[in-house]
Amino acid sequence: MSSRTYGVGELIREINAALAGGFGEIWVRGELSGVKVAGSGHRYFQVKDADGQLSCAMWAARADRLRFKLADGQAVLLRGRLEVYAQRGSLSLVVEEVRPEGIGELQLAFEQMKAKLEAEGLFAAERKRPLPALPQRLGLVTSASGAAVRDVLKVLSRWEHLSVLLYPVRVQGKGSEGEVARAVRYLGRSGLVDVVLVVRGGGSLEDLWAFNEEIVARAIAASPVPVVSGVGHEVDFTIADFVADVRAATPTQAAELVVATLEGQQRRVETGHRDLTAGFLRKLEHGRLRLRGLEGARGLARLPLRLKELDQRIQRLEALPQLLRALVAGRRRRAEAAAAHLYRWPVRFGAPRRRELVTARLAVAGERLRSLVARRGLELTGGERALGALSPRRVLERGYSMTTREGDPKPVTNAATVNTGERIVTTFAVGHLRSLVLGRVNGTQGSLFEEEGAGDRAQGTVDKGQDAPHMGQETHDRRRR
Amino acid sequence: MTKESFEQALEELEEVVAKLEDESVGLEEALKLFERGVKLAKRCRTQLEGVERRVEQLLAEAAEGEEAKTAPFAPEEE
Repeated sequence: MSSRTYGVGELIREINAALAGGFGEIWVRGELSGVKVAGSGHRYFQVKDADGQLSCAMWAARADRLRFKLADGQAVLLRGRLEVYAQRGSLSLVVEEVRPEGIGELQLAFEQMKAKLEAEGLFAAERKRPLPALPQRLGLVTSASGAAVRDVLKVLSRWEHLSVLLYPVRVQGKGSEGEVARAVRYLGRSGLVDVVLVVRGGGSLEDLWAFNEEIVARAIAASPVPVVSGVGHEVDFTIADFVADVRAATPTQAAELVVATLEGQQRRVETGHRDLTAGFLRKLEHGRLRLRGLEGARGLARLPLRLKELDQRIQRLEALPQLLRALVAGRRRRAEAAAAHLYRWPVRFGAPRRRELVTARLAVAGERLRSLVARRGLELTGGERALGALSPRRVLERGYSMTTREGDPKPVTNAATVNTGERIVTTFAVGHLRSLVLGRVNGTQGSLFEEEGAGDRAQGTVDKGQDAPHMGQETHDRRRR
Repeated sequence: MTKESFEQALEELEEVVAKLEDESVGLEEALKLFERGVKLAKRCRTQLEGVERRVEQLLAEAAEGEEAKTAPFAPEEE
């Protein structure tokens, strides 16, 4: 039996040839330990089981393609080739592929990423920002052709006053994570949007993978504007969902959140405005009640006149917003009932002095209101409504009528200026009446709140469909008996 | 006007309303509150409706200080 003598290098080459021939490509099952990443990016680790351990090397080019991170304790299947490393003379498994055991590769990667970012505090509740008060300018990161963009825009169409800037990206496939991250970064810093929506329709874990990538999570975390995520279906959670400021279950829900916020703000404004006018009316009604009560107390002759002016002012005020009027109607009925009671205010309560006081204050208030109306009537309820409420026509619809002399569009405000035998035109909300004045009813000094001129008798024709007295003049003349 | 000022105006409006509820507030003061409230409500509305409806897609990112290239966007029908 002859012994052959080898050079070391030669022997190792022979061994390696024998290993390649004898084992070739193999699978090894075990648990990882001592995982190290060298400066070169190569991974070195041991794989072991209860009976032994084996050194492993995985070159950077391969290892960087792993979706999960190699970690001690992982149960794995390794594919590779056995080789003796000549410099050290030690046996290694040169690993080509690593498969986690008992859990999917993606699932493992997901868990790892989640744990990593969570440890960094990226999911912390205190990092989460609420949606802006007015999410009106939306940045949308999704595919331009998916169902998600349709779903989102459909919901957003409910709110008239918002703009959408879509940054179209691929939402699956190699490189899609880079596009999503770039879009989030760009929109967030662009100053063009108040909030960014990152959405994608449902799909498999593989399909949704871009949203589990670290680069996307980092972009979302760093966004200067709040980010809403809506990826997949209700049951799907992605890393993007965890790191987003607001997680919506679906793209549709992400859009709903935005619209609901705007609708909620609008409700608050309208409620505030309604309560404001209602509250103010209560104050006015309260003031008027006191006046009525005071008027009822034995008192000054001049007072009714001033009171009447004030009452008119208040009525003008009431004619302001249509909204107010409905409120007043109810309140007035109650006020009327209460007034009956207040009529009995005894003088000894200092009624005359308080009366003066209230009168003066109401006068000032009335004056200011009048100029307020003049200056900003249109603003009060915004445009149309106020305009409508201020128009004489609306006043007429409330049951008031306007009297003019024939041929003179100026309203008659004092019965004393009309003589017996004169012809007058009364304009109602609908139509006019021409009348012949039979006489004046005395007692303009009578009670302030009683209707004057109730005794006037009128004869005339109803002329429907005419809006203004001067327009109806000719028609009236022709139709006269 | 900033978003903060919307929130502030809304909160102030709600405060004004609460003050109006106060029995001790007189007519003069009530009028002032009312005027203020109307102003605030108007400001809120103006902001709430201050954005024109628009759906666009980005064609090209803009460099600092440049305007982004956009085009109107409508999703394809199913």
